[in-house]
Amino acid sequence: MEEVLMKKLQILADSAKYDVSCSSSGADRNNNGRMGSAHAAGICHSWGADGRCISLLKVLFTNKCEYNCEYCVNRRTNDCPRASFEPDELARLTVEFYKRNYIEGLFLSSAVEVSPDYTAERILRCLQLLRFRYGFAGYIHAKIIPGVSPEILHQIGLVADRLSVNIEMPTSQSLAAFAPQKKPKQIFAPMKQITNTLIETRALKGPGTMFKGDRLNSPDNIIGPMGLEDVTSMGNDTRALVDPRKRARKGSFAAAGQTTQMIVGAGNETDFSILTTSENLYRTFKMKRVYYSAYIPVVDSPILPDKSTAPPLAREHRIYQADWLLRFYGFRVEELLGGKNQNLDPDVDPKVMWALRNLDKFPVEVNRASYEELMRIPGIGHISARRIIRQRSFRAVKFEDLKKMGVAVKRARYFVLCCGRYYGQRKFEPETIRNSMLQMENGQQLSMFDNNWRRLEEGERQEKLALAGVI
Amino acid sequence: MMDYLYDGTFEGILNCVYHHYYTDRAGRICLKEEYQPSLLNDFMEVETDSAKATLVYDAIEEKISTYALQTVYRAYLSNDPEKEMKILRYLVLGFRDNYAAAHHRTDQAVFEMETMVKKVRCEKERMLQFVRFEVLASNILYAEIEPDNDVLELIGDHFSDRFKNDPFIIRDVKRDKAMFAYEGHWYISEGLPSDFDLTRSDDEIAYQHLWQTYFDHIAIKERINPGCQRNFMPARYWKHLTEMKRKAPGYDAAIFTVGV
Ligand code: SF4
Repeated sequence: MEEVLMKKLQILADSAKYDVSCSSSGADRNNNGRMGSAHAAGICHSWGADGRCISLLKVLFTNKCEYNCEYCVNRRTNDCPRASFEPDELARLTVEFYKRNYIEGLFLSSAVEVSPDYTAERILRCLQLLRFRYGFAGYIHAKIIPGVSPEILHQIGLVADRLSVNIEMPTSQSLAAFAPQKKPKQIFAPMKQITNTLIETRALKGPGTMFKGDRLNSPDNIIGPMGLEDVTSMGNDTRALVDPRKRARKGSFAAAGQTTQMIVGAGNETDFSILTTSENLYRTFKMKRVYYSAYIPVVDSPILPDKSTAPPLAREHRIYQADWLLRFYGFRVEELLGGKNQNLDPDVDPKVMWALRNLDKFPVEVNRASYEELMRIPGIGHISARRIIRQRSFRAVKFEDLKKMGVAVKRARYFVLCCGRYYGQRKFEPETIRNSMLQMENGQQLSMFDNNWRRLEEGERQEKLALAGVI
Repeated sequence: MMDYLYDGTFEGILNCVYHHYYTDRAGRICLKEEYQPSLLNDFMEVETDSAKATLVYDAIEEKISTYALQTVYRAYLSNDPEKEMKILRYLVLGFRDNYAAAHHRTDQAVFEMETMVKKVRCEKERMLQFVRFEVLASNILYAEIEPDNDVLELIGDHFSDRFKNDPFIIRDVKRDKAMFAYEGHWYISEGLPSDFDLTRSDDEIAYQHLWQTYFDHIAIKERINPGCQRNFMPARYWKHLTEMKRKAPGYDAAIFTVGV
């Protein structure tokens, strides 16, 4: 068995690796007498030679693709080795890896072999074997192929922890240009079905803290035929598959929610249009995450960047940071970008960029600012903001205290007052501050290893890690 | 001032704390075997008395907090050569200022304690990531580890939950002790029985190869970044990592071949 399987594994790992998401957080599946448990925080078991975290067995089920997406190594017209797993083969491999503590679970994506439904049925078979024959209770993330029938999608949702449908491109024009066989309707219909089923099973959690306090699972939030504005016309034919009276057990359908993925740098979209699409996805489908993937040229194409183009990793990193601001820091895209600012500042992180453009809101006295105000100060995150609030109820926070509280002082100093005193530059103006920050960090800021990064809480760190792949 | 010598147990440290208050202030707290007498202080061998230990144990929980008690225990598992005195300073502060003290990161004693405990916690997390099991012919899952801090007991619950139906053993090679677990229960005892059969299952090596293959193929060559990899997976752990041991310094393939 070894050799054949080895060959398949090589091919199908190779063709899955350009995908970015390996986060396994969000599902706290306890062990009910079966093997496995998905740790709430997500565990990285190893780091590949590229420094990316390996948490899940990430493979394609098959790479024998009928489609011909412009940017993809597995496109029909590309000449490359092809393989498909048998459902049982992959199920066993997953269990054996899991037992040895190599992985937390399976991240299964696939090309379109024969037809979306043909492939999806085989994937379903594999996942059912895994859950029911092998009693596997680890984490499963299944990618949904656009165009799959609602019934199969529902069955897959019942055995998977997380589902995702890739949006791939930020606009319908670029989708038409780069992935002509994938129609917006086929992408939005399953997204909508997943969100609605999550609401019906009362399991919708939403992105970050964006909808904190809202009753997301109220039936009013079910996305109706008119709910999608510009996307409605593309996907209004899904009916509710769960009879509300026979509601599935809470959390049994894709309890870790829905995500999607967008490619950065294949077309010529601006950061503004990418992030606007993300924000729309968050607001419409309340999905947990949008992942971004810097486009790595792997095929020759007249409409794509040349094969020698370096993947825009720095840009991807900035977009992730901005996305983080949307989900956890209460920012909106229009505050960050718009008008003549169509792209993020490559030199400083998006929060600094925003602060420099809004210097009239600074400096902020840390001993008086609200939690929300603290969160908007560069260098301060939710942990340090909470620490500041806790400590100042005992005694005033001094400048020297900030560092011990986990504040990235080298960034924050320009924007705060401690007990009325300012510790930054003499001249309080954007260019001066920007320059001295750049000088000090000497380009280091792009590195994930700055102080702030080290002080991130483990969960957050793992997540960043999982998605960054950049240092 | 007195130098206290103790037996290396948690109860032993608690006894030293007791004597710090009721006998004489502690100058140093050291392991009996490792003590180097100094001219400055007298020394005393502390007898580990469980009644005194309980007294201190309860006092920490009642007068400071359960969190402080946990912190002190984690600190005890640390390999920091100064851990005993750091624990003492932390407790002295806690008993003086009560609850609030344990939460002021700005205090030096709290800060150094938190830093030390964080390392323990961090290594525990690392073990959850880096323990690699092999399937033995007897179907037992078997793993060897060599953590810097004594974190073996901290990972028992995690793996017991993960493997409800598979018996497993995790052996700390450096401290020669092992965790034996089955059906959600675990205990730790000294090493392995000398006649323990470590023969690997028939397909063990095949799965190790499959994993190594996967590991090599999943990396994106445009993004190769050994510094980053090493940062998250420090080389001192490689020896026991299926995918890295091939690259570990001094790796001798023979050691890892299938047992007969
Ligand atoms: S559907 Fe498109 S993106 Fe997916 S494998 Fe086929 S060609 Fe690639």
